[in-house]
Amino acid sequence: MWCLYLIATIYVLSMFASVIAPYKRDAISLDNAYTSPFSSAQDGSYHVFGTDHLGRDYFTRLIYAARVSLTTALTVTTVSTFIGIVIGLIAGYFGGFIDTFTSRMIEFISTFPTFTLLLIAGSIAIQNGDDIPIPALLSQAVGAIMAINEREGKQVVMIMVIFIALGWTGVARFVRGMVLSIREQLYVESSRALGASHLHNIITHVLPNAMPPIIVAYTLGLSGSLVAESALSFLGFGIQDPTPSWGNMLSFANSYMFNYPWMPLVPTLPILICSLAINYIGDGLRDALDPRVQVEVTRSKRDALLKAIRDRSAAA
Amino acid sequence: MATFLIRRLIQMFIVLIASAVVSFVLLYFAPGGPMTGMRQTQQSGRNKISADDIARIKQRFELDLFVPYRFTRWLVGFPSGPVTIAGQTFLADVEVGCKIPAKVRLRYPDGRTEIIEEGCEVPITYANLVDRRTSRGILFGDFGLSQVMLRDRPISTLIASRLPYTLTLMGASILISIAIGVPLGIYSAVRQYSRFDYTMTTVSFVGSSLPTFVIGIICILVFAVGAKEAGFIYLPPGNAVSNKDYVIPYIGEVIASSTLDRVLHFIMPLGVLVFVNIAGYSRFIRSGMLEVLRQDYVRTARAKGLRERTVVLKHALRNAILPFITLLAGVMAELFGGAAITEAVFNWPGLGRLLVDSIERNDYSVTMGLTMVSIFLLLVGYLITDILYSILDPRIRLS
Repeated sequence: MWCLYLIATIYVLSMFASVIAPYKRDAISLDNAYTSPFSSAQDGSYHVFGTDHLGRDYFTRLIYAARVSLTTALTVTTVSTFIGIVIGLIAGYFGGFIDTFTSRMIEFISTFPTFTLLLIAGSIAIQNGDDIPIPALLSQAVGAIMAINEREGKQVVMIMVIFIALGWTGVARFVRGMVLSIREQLYVESSRALGASHLHNIITHVLPNAMPPIIVAYTLGLSGSLVAESALSFLGFGIQDPTPSWGNMLSFANSYMFNYPWMPLVPTLPILICSLAINYIGDGLRDALDPRVQVEVTRSKRDALLKAIRDRSAAA
Repeated sequence: MATFLIRRLIQMFIVLIASAVVSFVLLYFAPGGPMTGMRQTQQSGRNKISADDIARIKQRFELDLFVPYRFTRWLVGFPSGPVTIAGQTFLADVEVGCKIPAKVRLRYPDGRTEIIEEGCEVPITYANLVDRRTSRGILFGDFGLSQVMLRDRPISTLIASRLPYTLTLMGASILISIAIGVPLGIYSAVRQYSRFDYTMTTVSFVGSSLPTFVIGIICILVFAVGAKEAGFIYLPPGNAVSNKDYVIPYIGEVIASSTLDRVLHFIMPLGVLVFVNIAGYSRFIRSGMLEVLRQDYVRTARAKGLRERTVVLKHALRNAILPFITLLAGVMAELFGGAAITEAVFNWPGLGRLLVDSIERNDYSVTMGLTMVSIFLLLVGYLITDILYSILDPRIRLS
């Protein structure tokens, strides 16, 4: 439970970044570059986590980056889970032609090497950023949430869209499988016999019963997209520099690690803490939720593991 | 079985073509390419590049052909010239591209003029295709030319130079992690809730929730940077061989590109991949084993008085290992695809890094080639898995 509090605290704090942060996010001062943590820079200013290669305060950037990274992960996972639930429900519940069509499509999308596609799409999105039409309202909204300007917001929106486009298939497949077995249950059948509509059935019977594993999958997906985003940014195809994200901070710090070994540690720690904490929450939820059928739980646990391992090996 | 195979092969072929179309279209819209640098050079004014030069370079990379023709030539190497049937040539005059685009001067009402490319001055026909380099097409294993990274050289040389590194790294890491991970998983399932199990679960939980690049960077910090500072034996932080000799405490001088040097470079990326894989595999095997060990037939086997060893290894493991095989479907693709991020962190010159580099430098023919290879291998992997599955589990019938 304290993991949930931890993540929530980090996220809430990052929302007050402008109040907490001691310095301006992009305030460059080359004289202060490479200040080590817990020490004062040349001009006497104090930096808790030190400064990066351009003398920007690490602590400030970490807070803003938390805002960017966590919001991206949250949005991506929420939207793709939602799409996945809707498509999976429809495919699983109605079956027939719709089911065949969606299953084929999902299979087709999952033969693509996801990470390669992410890299390609990311590089296209970054290089032709201005040609890709994104509603100004959307990028402004994202910009407002993440405290970044509209142009940066646009870039983040593009990255999110790519993640969502590739991310919904796993949830959809998973939900479809769940719904297929729930649909056959007697209570659904009897509710149909009593004259309930399909919509009523889906909302009152199928969805609530499918929910616990979905919540677990959602939590694990959250850490997955957090890691994927930071990996993408680490390789330079994700969120681009003036916008801080833990991944791109790490990728810069990485090039100075031989002279300043502490540098990569600073952005590494939040990635480490958050991905561990979120996974921990997911693991706990999985054990806590749905104690009814033990075998089912282990099976869904195993499926989740299988997916996690596959995702990892793609992104190793 | 035969019908199943035929149907699956046809399905595979369709998926392969469809993914070829998708990746081609995706990369067609991608920016950059061999012409980017040229235009910049031209802007500097000193080296004027003539229209002929541009036409020649475009021809080399087939950029002057219409997109459908480019696609089919890339995919199957067709068309490679006019069709000759019984001494008669057909299609010789059909346009397939445009060598030099016609320039049209637009004059706006407000006096501005602008030159745009509209229509075609010198078209390319089937007859012109005859003296071009004929690619056999990617479906037949000809990847074409690299556009940026190794200008004009075939992509196959590029891949061939990287392949050994990826194969050794991935092959070794997969073998070692299966050899260690599976027994660990079995053991911790059999001894559930023992101290060993708790340690194992915690370590593998941490290992499978941390991103690989974080583990990699921490390893470099500890074993390369930290150990060197402290005067212990340290490992070289990156690359596959070093280019000058170096001295390591307690080991002595290491001669560049000797076996020892290669081994030292190999240890860290291998270690990271093995750690990550073991974490995943052992967790997977453990949960599978736990499920199976609860089954009635395991109790029956015990009740018959079989030795615990036989019960676990013969009755339980054979059932628990089945889902593990689905996991191995991706292994072949992984083996040749490399691990992009680990390779990037450790500067390992394998195919994964080649992919990242090719995307970064907009060398799309390389990217497309690598993507096609990995999709193909993944499909083959799925097919093999399905067949293996039906052999190992008689309950499953292929139909």
